[in-house]
Amino acid sequence: MSPLPERPLTVLIAALGGEGGGVLADWLVAAATRLHFPVQSTSIPGVAQRTGATTYYLEIYPVNRSELGDKQPVLALTPSPGNVDLMVASELIEAGRAMQNGFVSPERTTLVASTHRIYTTLEKMQMGDGRIDGERIMRAADALARKALLFDMAALAQQSGTVISAVLFGAMAGSGVLPLARAVCEEVIRASGKGVEASLRGFELGWRHATGEAQQPSPEAIKRWAAHPHERVRATLPGEVQRIAEEGAARTLDFQNARYAALYLDRVEAVAKLDREQGGGAGGYRLTLETARFLALWMCYEDVIRVADLKTRRSRVERVRAEVQAKANEPVHIVEYLKPGVEEIAAILPARLGHALESWAKQRGLRLQKGMYIRTTGIVGFLLMRFLATLRPLRRSSLRYGIEQQTIERWLEAIHAAAPLGLGLALEIALLGRLIKGYGDTYARGRGNFLRIMDTLVAPTLPMSESERREAIRNAREAALADPEGRKLEGSLSSVGVTPLPPRAKPLQFMRKPTIARPGAPAAGAGSAPRS
Amino acid sequence: MERSFTEEVKSLRLGTGDEFVGEGILAVTKALLQSGVSYVGGYQGAPISHLIDVLSDAKDLLDELGVHLETNASEAAAAAMLGASINYPIRGAVAWKSTVGTNVASDALANLSSAGVRGGALIVIGEDYGEGSSIMQERSHAFAMKSQIWLLDPRPNLATIVSMVEHGFQLSEASSTPVMLELRIRACHVHGSFQTRDNQRPAVSTYAQVQAPEFDYGRIVLPPSSYVQEKHKVEVRWPNAIAYVRDHHLNEVFPGDITELGILCQGGMYNATIRSLQQLGLADAFGHSRIPIYCMNVTYPLIPEEITTFCAGRTHVLVIEEGQPAFIEEAILAALRRADINGSIVHGKDVLPMAGEYTGETVLAGMLRFVQAAAPTGLNLDDIQSRYSRLTAPKARASELLGGPVPTRPPGFCVGCPERPVFSAMKLIERDSGAFHISADIGCHLFSTLPPFNIGNTVLGYGLGLASNAAIDPLFGRRTVTVMGDGGFWHNGLTSGIANSMFNRDDGILVIMNNGYTSATGTQHIPSSPHQPDNKMTGMSLRKALEGVGVKWVKTVTTYKVSQMKETLAEAMSSTYAGLKVIIAESECQLEKQRRLRPLVNALLARGQRVIRTRFGVDEDTCSGDHSCIRLSGCPSLTIRESSDPLKVDPVAHVNNGCVGCSLCGEVAHAAVLCPSFYRAEVVQNPGWWDRLQWLLNRAVISVLQRA
Repeated sequence: MSPLPERPLTVLIAALGGEGGGVLADWLVAAATRLHFPVQSTSIPGVAQRTGATTYYLEIYPVNRSELGDKQPVLALTPSPGNVDLMVASELIEAGRAMQNGFVSPERTTLVASTHRIYTTLEKMQMGDGRIDGERIMRAADALARKALLFDMAALAQQSGTVISAVLFGAMAGSGVLPLARAVCEEVIRASGKGVEASLRGFELGWRHATGEAQQPSPEAIKRWAAHPHERVRATLPGEVQRIAEEGAARTLDFQNARYAALYLDRVEAVAKLDREQGGGAGGYRLTLETARFLALWMCYEDVIRVADLKTRRSRVERVRAEVQAKANEPVHIVEYLKPGVEEIAAILPARLGHALESWAKQRGLRLQKGMYIRTTGIVGFLLMRFLATLRPLRRSSLRYGIEQQTIERWLEAIHAAAPLGLGLALEIALLGRLIKGYGDTYARGRGNFLRIMDTLVAPTLPMSESERREAIRNAREAALADPEGRKLEGSLSSVGVTPLPPRAKPLQFMRKPTIARPGAPAAGAGSAPRS
Repeated sequence: MERSFTEEVKSLRLGTGDEFVGEGILAVTKALLQSGVSYVGGYQGAPISHLIDVLSDAKDLLDELGVHLETNASEAAAAAMLGASINYPIRGAVAWKSTVGTNVASDALANLSSAGVRGGALIVIGEDYGEGSSIMQERSHAFAMKSQIWLLDPRPNLATIVSMVEHGFQLSEASSTPVMLELRIRACHVHGSFQTRDNQRPAVSTYAQVQAPEFDYGRIVLPPSSYVQEKHKVEVRWPNAIAYVRDHHLNEVFPGDITELGILCQGGMYNATIRSLQQLGLADAFGHSRIPIYCMNVTYPLIPEEITTFCAGRTHVLVIEEGQPAFIEEAILAALRRADINGSIVHGKDVLPMAGEYTGETVLAGMLRFVQAAAPTGLNLDDIQSRYSRLTAPKARASELLGGPVPTRPPGFCVGCPERPVFSAMKLIERDSGAFHISADIGCHLFSTLPPFNIGNTVLGYGLGLASNAAIDPLFGRRTVTVMGDGGFWHNGLTSGIANSMFNRDDGILVIMNNGYTSATGTQHIPSSPHQPDNKMTGMSLRKALEGVGVKWVKTVTTYKVSQMKETLAEAMSSTYAGLKVIIAESECQLEKQRRLRPLVNALLARGQRVIRTRFGVDEDTCSGDHSCIRLSGCPSLTIRESSDPLKVDPVAHVNNGCVGCSLCGEVAHAAVLCPSFYRAEVVQNPGWWDRLQWLLNRAVISVLQRA
């Protein structure tokens, strides 16, 4: 008889609540039980099942009980660092977490992980881009694991019409670490009796990708480059910025007309000229590139006309149908959630009229926002939206158009003024364009932050060197993107000597027990002022 | 209920010679039936919910055996039910999450253990400590000591756990004392096997009922009986318990060849102890340890003579006792001193941490320090050290490679959760008028304290939200708000919160989350659940209860209507009405709703009938990547993805296919006036001729005017 293994085989599964990790653990237990191996699994479901990160831990002693006599292996309930044979993660940063906790060791651990991302709330809620670098986790996995099997199992699960646990099971079986033959694994899936065929398809795909029999195609490029080659761009702009500028020219044409696109290119070319003169070629014309990018987005600001136009296009309806996975014969009705108010109406009125409307509403404290549900797949809703879109020719005389062009000019002038002092400084000013985005309050906040930085740091009011100014602008931009309340921005500004603005006053709307008079109590103070 | 236990119920019927395969807490359930219990009860909560859930599904079996099952309204109610075992030779068991449940139950437990029991009384406690726990980190051990309840902490394998349940009843009867069986989180969920025995039909049952009451003033907790009872505890019950534990060898000794050393561990710590010894090369896979082990499956009372016998002659011993205070370690020190055994150095909290879970990693580090400190003859310490270093090196290396901690992923509200919109509304009010104090409560709604909401200032206990606001409200410069779940309401919030507030004429605002279940513990039914099984139709409702205690200002709002919720909250905050203002925030738990609807929808689809599937989406073209919508929602289904627009750098918002169409993201976009990017898509599945005609007509007109 061969000597008994020194230790059990240990398997740790990191998953998210509700992903079927429990089913996967049950399959493994069932497969080991079929082979009469001592097996034990534990988990910490608790409230972790509510979408949080959770783990399942298994130990299998890969010897038939009949060979053990009355010996019973002692199996542990918690995983230990450096002591995991098969580490499984259903999502990429859960693989990172496993490594962080020491569960992936070069001596022992085969890591099977899906490379897709399910972003955490902390990553999602940032005003800019809060995503962590997934590439870094994959590199760490390759460096740290004895063997790392990394592929997008969520895509394979979707492809086979099942959940990720089935694909994970196949990949685990295919990793060669489990003492469970493929046939046994498939038997327990069959015995589980629910969604068997789809699970088996998922298992098969997981197996094939783990063993190298199949490989995933490299992911499709996400960016949709829509523009065609543009003669003027090719003639006047450096190669590095041509693609972005073509995209920008096409976008501005689509937004307004050919004249507007020409204005866009005039502006970009002016910056490119400056960039070239200052030797920006060595750095790949980053100043021109980023200016071209944010200028295009800014010039194609989203007013009611633009939104109505975008919402009624054929391509958009097709995109929604694909997104909601509608079958060809299924009608899809699209209902828009819109809430235009005085600001939005004033924005598209001729400047004078728009001003008058705004100040009238402001005096009365009215925003008159009207929540609307518009069915753009119905004739009435579609015609209404299409009508708004046809107002496009009026846009050039509108209130908002004037304001935006004015601010854009101010921004471009600042870039022009800064470039001779240093391209780095000019680039930081160009990147401030990222702050201009959104609608309503979001737009007002971003614009406010932009102007605040322009007024305090870009305008040369403070004695600072070029590099100090560059640094200060970068910090201010990052602070503005880190905090919706704007306090971080003020903190960043005050660190370089700008007097911070006081926090925005919030109206006190709360009443204190107005009808209970307490004998001897002082007269009611400010706190009991009724709601305005 | 979140899970159906139809399969598990079958294993409760297994008889002598069969093998049970399954979860730890279900093995306990089976052991109760094998021990001839007459009644079972408890209050749900991880990690013991399944005990009560499976019995709820096993009504037929319980009826056959004549066992009474009570779904107690609280842990206090469950503990009080054990009173049936005071006068009569009836075995009973209850279960709850500890220490929270034991806190709630402690009044009844103290009375029970003073009176003493005739029939075996077993309390199964899920010790919610360490990873996966959702409560304050404390030990149940203190309750055992203060009320004199025996505490069992079995080795975490099913056979030992089951055997300790059976011994628990006998120990309880032999010493007239209630017994606690402590199972840690992972032990409750451990999947293993044991040899079953036939279920025992209880001597007293719903078929064979008690016929005459028994009066014994000695069982009443009033002087002079109470004085006599205290003496009886220490003079009679204690020695009887010691004798039982000793004579039946409930604690175990495992010999080893390094006799200079010894390890004394709680039963629940045994497997972690063995694993750490294996990793250091001091034990084999079958638990044969080179260092002798005294494993305490009974952690209260300790058996002094077993401890002194084990320690005598050893130079160093290690006590592995999870949590603090270190009651066991101190008792062992005292026992050795009393027996004048001074040659053994006692290690424990000097090499292991005082606080926190004893994971594999923690015990391993402690074991290394113990062996190094003791340095027994003939042991190669360098070899042990190098084994340890090899195991722990990857963790340091990973930290270098990853360059920083990965983001945490705490549990949160589910997709489409009806409680989330209430906090979206609160967030909007905060945005307009500044933050206000919120007294929070226990339940899923406490996830509001996590990002993105970060709402809720204090939490004091289940159903205690409103009570915890009683002094805040009069002393605070603005109106304050309390949140309570319907679970907490029926657990004790109605009396300790609402009745208390009415009695004191407090001026509070209470938001009751009426989602119909105790969702955090696995969506068990409560008195006001909307879809009660037929035998539980109660007609109880929050509104009737509130009216019954005299609450006048009550408004019901459907939670998903964010604007309306915001307005109602603002109205309550600015109202001139002095007195308790209650907002019932109503919508069914989405987990439960989906579980109910999914099979119905699938059946309709399979029959070819028309079903409209609703889900939400974000237009990528108009999304600017600011993510305000996410900061006001946090829905797992509302996520981000790389923008396909080559000009945009920030990721855009995106609704994935997990969307259940609850409408929150759209309503928030409206209420907060965010952006025009949200849309609702209604997919008509199995469309009828009218649907198709309408669709074709619309498309015919639209396509003429449509841009590409």
